[in-house]
Amino acid sequence: MIRAGLRARVIAGFAAGALALSATMAFASYEIVRHSLLGERESTAIRAAYYDAAVIRAGIVATADPDLVALLRALDTGENRRALLHRDGEWFARSADLGTTSAVPAALQEQARSGRASVQRVRADGAPTLVVAVPIATDTVFYEVDSLAELDHTLRVLTIVLTAVAIATALAGAGLGLYASRYVMRPLVRVAQAAQDIATGASDARLDPAQEPDLGRLTSSFNAMVDELSARLERDRRFAADVSHELRSPLQTLSAAASVLTRRRAHLDERTATAAGLVADEIARFQQLVNDLITLARSDRAAQRAPVDVAGLARSACRERGLPESIVHAEGEPSWTVDRRRIGQVLGNLLDNATAYGGGAVAIRLTLDDGLGRIEVDDEGPGVSPEDKAEIFDRFVRGRAAGTRGGTDGTGLGLAIVAQHALAHGGTATVLDRPGGGARFRVDLPGSTA
Amino acid sequence: MTVPPIRPPALAAPLPTSHDEVVSAVLVIEDDDRIRLSLVLALEDEGYAVSGVPTAEEGLELQRRSPADTVLVDLMLPGIDGFECIRQMRRTDDVPIVVISARDDTHDIVAALEAGADDYLVKPVAVKELTARLRALRRRARAVTPEAVPVLRFGELEILPEAGEVRRRGEPVAVTRTEFQLLCELADHPGRVLSRQQLLQRVWEYDGGDERLVDVHVGRLRQKIEDDSAAPQHLVTVRGLGYKLQR
Repeated sequence: MIRAGLRARVIAGFAAGALALSATMAFASYEIVRHSLLGERESTAIRAAYYDAAVIRAGIVATADPDLVALLRALDTGENRRALLHRDGEWFARSADLGTTSAVPAALQEQARSGRASVQRVRADGAPTLVVAVPIATDTVFYEVDSLAELDHTLRVLTIVLTAVAIATALAGAGLGLYASRYVMRPLVRVAQAAQDIATGASDARLDPAQEPDLGRLTSSFNAMVDELSARLERDRRFAADVSHELRSPLQTLSAAASVLTRRRAHLDERTATAAGLVADEIARFQQLVNDLITLARSDRAAQRAPVDVAGLARSACRERGLPESIVHAEGEPSWTVDRRRIGQVLGNLLDNATAYGGGAVAIRLTLDDGLGRIEVDDEGPGVSPEDKAEIFDRFVRGRAAGTRGGTDGTGLGLAIVAQHALAHGGTATVLDRPGGGARFRVDLPGSTA
Repeated sequence: MTVPPIRPPALAAPLPTSHDEVVSAVLVIEDDDRIRLSLVLALEDEGYAVSGVPTAEEGLELQRRSPADTVLVDLMLPGIDGFECIRQMRRTDDVPIVVISARDDTHDIVAALEAGADDYLVKPVAVKELTARLRALRRRARAVTPEAVPVLRFGELEILPEAGEVRRRGEPVAVTRTEFQLLCELADHPGRVLSRQQLLQRVWEYDGGDERLVDVHVGRLRQKIEDDSAAPQHLVTVRGLGYKLQR
């Protein structure tokens, strides 16, 4: 399930809260307004009806056979009110049109006949209507049918206004939520920015505790963490520097002394010469191991990219190893934006690996296509078994599976360094089967175009 | 740590050298007795006349009395350190100076080169590599006459390849041999860009060397031959390509 982001949730929460609040307020005010308007209207209607009924009663009482229609016509009812008279089971109205009588509900008539004045709201012809029944005498009931269309219109307008207000309030709530979330998120954004700065190497990035007093704990623990982290990095760095220094100094003595021995080999007896040879070889290997370890320890640093003639680099790597330069095939732009030292080591290590385990490199292909630099080194050896492919770039993996590949040369770090250098460029190192036998080591380096 | 007393030349009779070269004198300034002794032994075997001293003070004194052809110097020395030793030696001497240090931080490398070193090697250096470097430096020190051109002019700058001299508005400029060689390579191709790798190849005889060597040497040269080294008029950088010398 995808969880909505914190910001989205804050905004939605504010909007929902504002909507609920404004809807409740709107509903309540609608009800109050409606109630009071209706009540007022009703009492006005009732008062008018009683007044009219009194007029009619006076007319009926004054004469023995009153002209009821004339009496009704004499009433001043205005436009909205219509007066009806029910006498001895017969309806009388101001005009001949007695259609209005249908608006008078039977229940009301029943009640009125039993001598009780009453009021009822009904819908007549689709419009809300108020019917007031006033019994005048036995079998004589005066009705007044009062249209509430105007009031209904007013209430409808009120509904629209209140709905609009509710929506606007919800939107305002969402806006407030957006602002609040931004405001609340700001320190988090600062923390994220600082963390990112640290990740990219700015070890002096810290949060200002004065800026967000409410986040004091976060700020202080973040800063403490960064202090601890950079102290540890500094310790590691110094340790690596010390170790490399302490290892390199005696190696210098060993290397120079071994060269004296090697030079005098002809003057030594056979056993001593063999022993001297072993010492010299192992010193050379140890030297390489120390260099490789130092390289690996530092390979997590960012690549120092600059324009590099990679084909020239490959050719000189071949020259150094006595390989023909003709195995280098370059396609596309000759200048790659890569770390010269690292790519030089990648090429050298891949060539050395091919020599040690693959019977020598037969081709180096360099292609630069759409920013992706690709280095491929082919050999014609036995290839790499599927189970070795997964771990061949790990440290100290040296042809474990096949005895044929288990030489004593090399440090077992060459391909690990290749992988690390590829990673420093944001790329990858892989091993494939070469069509026609042998292994193909491939290093992809994205962003190799300036 | 106690280091056994060292009795140098008595126990090490150098092998006769196969080179027909004039014996070249090398001064090794290295405080670690074992490293110094092993370097002295190995270089003597390679046919060099080597003197080793443990401090910068002794090294500076010895170089004043009997100048060597090349100086190898460690950076971490008791008393005057390697950087200061190079600076002091450079005031009076254009001898090729090679740093041999176990430190390989960019900061150290650049600082040593800026102090005036010609090359920087990180320990452990194979003797073969070291002698290759020494030979390259000697060739450079000798072969400063690329062509029989009497004088090359670049504005107010005059380069006299045969005399090994640089003059600015008629005044001689003190440059080291490496700086002079670098200037001559660039002057040989006026207005043409030479890449850092090309310059490393031609001046230092490096195949795929450290480009900081070129950058720092160019910086040092600019301070000597330009009016404003931050806005060079003659020795200009061509971004992404290299350097060129122009009129």
